[in-house]
Amino acid sequence: MSSARQIRLDNDLVVIARPNRAARSVAVRLVLEAGAAFDPPGREGTAALVADLLDRGAGSLPGEAIASFFDDLGVAYAASARRDTTEIELRLLSRHLSGVLERVRLIAAEPTFPETEIRREKDQALTAIAERDQDTAAVAEMELHAALFPPGHPYHHPRLGTRDSVTRIDRPDLAAFHRARYRPGGTILSLAGDFDPARVFDLAARVFGSWATPAARGGTTAPPARVSIPDPPAPEKAVVVGRSIAGKTQADIALGFRGLRRLAPDLPSVLVLNSILGEFGLGGRLGKAIRDRAGLAYYAYSHFTAGLGAGPFAVRAGVAPDGVRRAIDLMRRTITQIVRRGVTPSELRDSRQALASSIPRRMETNPEAAAVLADAEFHGLGIDYPERLPGLIGKVTRNDVEDSARTYLTPDRSVLVVAGPAMEKEALS
Amino acid sequence: MTAAARGGGVRAVRLPNGLVVLLREMRQAPVVSVWCWYRVGSRDERPGITGLSHWVEHMNFKGTRRIPKDDVIRRVELAGGTWNGYTWLDVTTYYETVQSDAFEEMLRLESSRMTECLYSTTEVEHERNVVISELQGGENDPRSFLEKEVTGTALQAHPYRWPTIGYLSDLKAITRDDLYGHYRRYYVPNNAILVAAGDFEAAAALRLVRRHFGGVRRGQEPPPVRTVEPPQSGERRLLVRRPSGAVYVDVAFHAPAAAEPDFAALLVTDGILAGGPTVNVWSGHDGRGPSKSSRLYRTLIEGNLAGQVSTLVLPSRHPYLYRIAMTANEGVDPARLEDVLTTEIDRLARGDIEARDLERAKNQFLARHALESESTTDFGHQLGFFETIASHRLFFDLPRRVLAVKAADVTAFARARLGRDRRTVGVLLPSAPPPAPAAAALPGAAVP
Repeated sequence: MSSARQIRLDNDLVVIARPNRAARSVAVRLVLEAGAAFDPPGREGTAALVADLLDRGAGSLPGEAIASFFDDLGVAYAASARRDTTEIELRLLSRHLSGVLERVRLIAAEPTFPETEIRREKDQALTAIAERDQDTAAVAEMELHAALFPPGHPYHHPRLGTRDSVTRIDRPDLAAFHRARYRPGGTILSLAGDFDPARVFDLAARVFGSWATPAARGGTTAPPARVSIPDPPAPEKAVVVGRSIAGKTQADIALGFRGLRRLAPDLPSVLVLNSILGEFGLGGRLGKAIRDRAGLAYYAYSHFTAGLGAGPFAVRAGVAPDGVRRAIDLMRRTITQIVRRGVTPSELRDSRQALASSIPRRMETNPEAAAVLADAEFHGLGIDYPERLPGLIGKVTRNDVEDSARTYLTPDRSVLVVAGPAMEKEALS
Repeated sequence: MTAAARGGGVRAVRLPNGLVVLLREMRQAPVVSVWCWYRVGSRDERPGITGLSHWVEHMNFKGTRRIPKDDVIRRVELAGGTWNGYTWLDVTTYYETVQSDAFEEMLRLESSRMTECLYSTTEVEHERNVVISELQGGENDPRSFLEKEVTGTALQAHPYRWPTIGYLSDLKAITRDDLYGHYRRYYVPNNAILVAAGDFEAAAALRLVRRHFGGVRRGQEPPPVRTVEPPQSGERRLLVRRPSGAVYVDVAFHAPAAAEPDFAALLVTDGILAGGPTVNVWSGHDGRGPSKSSRLYRTLIEGNLAGQVSTLVLPSRHPYLYRIAMTANEGVDPARLEDVLTTEIDRLARGDIEARDLERAKNQFLARHALESESTTDFGHQLGFFETIASHRLFFDLPRRVLAVKAADVTAFARARLGRDRRTVGVLLPSAPPPAPAAAALPGAAVP
């Protein structure tokens, strides 16, 4: 892990290089502060469309030429908008690195957004939205965000947008979003694999150094601070949302709370809490109660998303309609128990050890290493964060975990979503 | 020890009890991946006991005589590990990727899993509901539903035709003794492959494997699959109606088994149609879709007919299916998608293949072949998967086989196997106009 190094180019793009001579390949990841959270109001889905259109024409190259270049060399390319970021990922054989980086710069800095490509991508987005709206897990996740974050909050809307918002998006919207959000300052280029870091830094400086920020053109060079996404108000009471979707055999349940941001000081403690509640083994205490003992679900777990803003902390399960009532009861009971009675010393010990000792394995492959390092640097934690994290986890005490449980697991201020076959109202109340 | 061989840096040994051991040193990270494979899957079932192999896999996480239930996973996670298992047509497998100092602990776990899992009646009943829940979760997805229907139509006789998860009626009826009998019949060292890849010294690793598996008694040889799918002599079609957000088309052709000579031609054919296929069923299906210079992308996606296209080449022991799944764009008649696919296959059949098409398909395959076996987990998977269905040497030989494919081979393949008379076409139409999700007004509930 300690072999990673970084430089900052004059235009404030940060380049991370982590050599791995055991591989013949390189993983490249470009992380931009350009996720769905930055969609303009009424144009939700813009970030996702921009990401999809990046390689469909850039600089003087038509989409076809970019695709041929990657496909001829067997390069795997993907770009997608997440909640906070848009991430461009590539995997390639190391001998192709130089030419590939040239294309990545072009794609990120100079996409042309041809009208025919926009029409096509919008059609595809509308199909994807129609499918999403029939998918119980996606609907549960979407409704959870809609209820936890008030209208207008950057995390309120679905990542792909809605039918109406996508229909409204046009070329000037896409170009404006790109102009505003795609800039070298604050962007991370992370590489892991078969290369000499000094040569990779030279190459990155040569290729990406000419990418100018609008600010730099105006004479200012201070690196931009990360956008701060406001905390939403916690729900005032327990909110219940039911979504019935015809033809489904199973319901997806999400019980969500307001979570925490990535830089929250109690993040290590919440990692341990989440492990005990819904991760360790076959889904922590939740898996034990809902899957293992009650046999109600194939999956029952908890997770949280900690980004620029506080994302949801959610408990999830997929169950048959006649098990919904019982699964919800077990979710609530499990949460109440952990809040009231705390965790055991052996649970604390197991989860701390599992989390801390998993980090080398989580960075084994080049794509994993590039992603973990880019993520740490994006949030200002530094590329040594993966090395420091085990120590931070090791210091988490029982009191810390129990404080976190009381802070975040608040059943009287929560959102319960059930998406699936039509159910009796009593099942959800 | 009876035989040892090398290939791809792999130490291959067969123990006297029949266990095949494959070891590969990989020093890139302080981790080791252990995979234990059994030659058993849905092909070894029959109506009445479909889903048995998969359910057995679930039961084998529920404790052994020496390892309490909670410890089966706990020990892996305390070693910083990740773990899983899966069951498919030909295989059942379990893996752990852990810090290398926990290697022996994982061998102890797999040895115990092979010989002494518990199968308590209470656990069987709990797991019945879990497996049924897994089945119902899969049926929530209209694409999976259509795929299952097409498989059962394209294959009329071979046991690959039923779903690995099983039929609901069978899952309700299977008994504890069915499960335990299946476990004892197939979980014998002479039907298993133990793979380790990672940070160890091969000779020392082999000593550890012998220590933990050498004493396991050989069992009877499991019965072979005898049925051969009869040739198809006419197109088969099916129409499924089900609530869904889109119209789906799923087309299946009969594919060669992985070890057959024309499997390489299938890989190149799929490369031309959709971009380099993966042969890593564990991690290769990343949802990337067809490569953007491929023929199906150019015609179906750039032609504004489909929002999504995916193809599946599944390396298997017996002949299975080559399938192409398409999601129609709104308002597009699914027949148009079929027409485009037919046109593209006809192009291949009449030899409309340029040198660049061939070279691109091969380069894409070679890159994926390398990239998708770099981690210890992926390498361990590929060794064991190919050994289970054919030989691990086949995995290393695929690049040579693919490089040898000529345009004429692709043409011959398309003519022999991708004709209309040999295909099965499934179409899923929404059973009602897809309703917008409706909010249920609930007593005492605030719906924002």
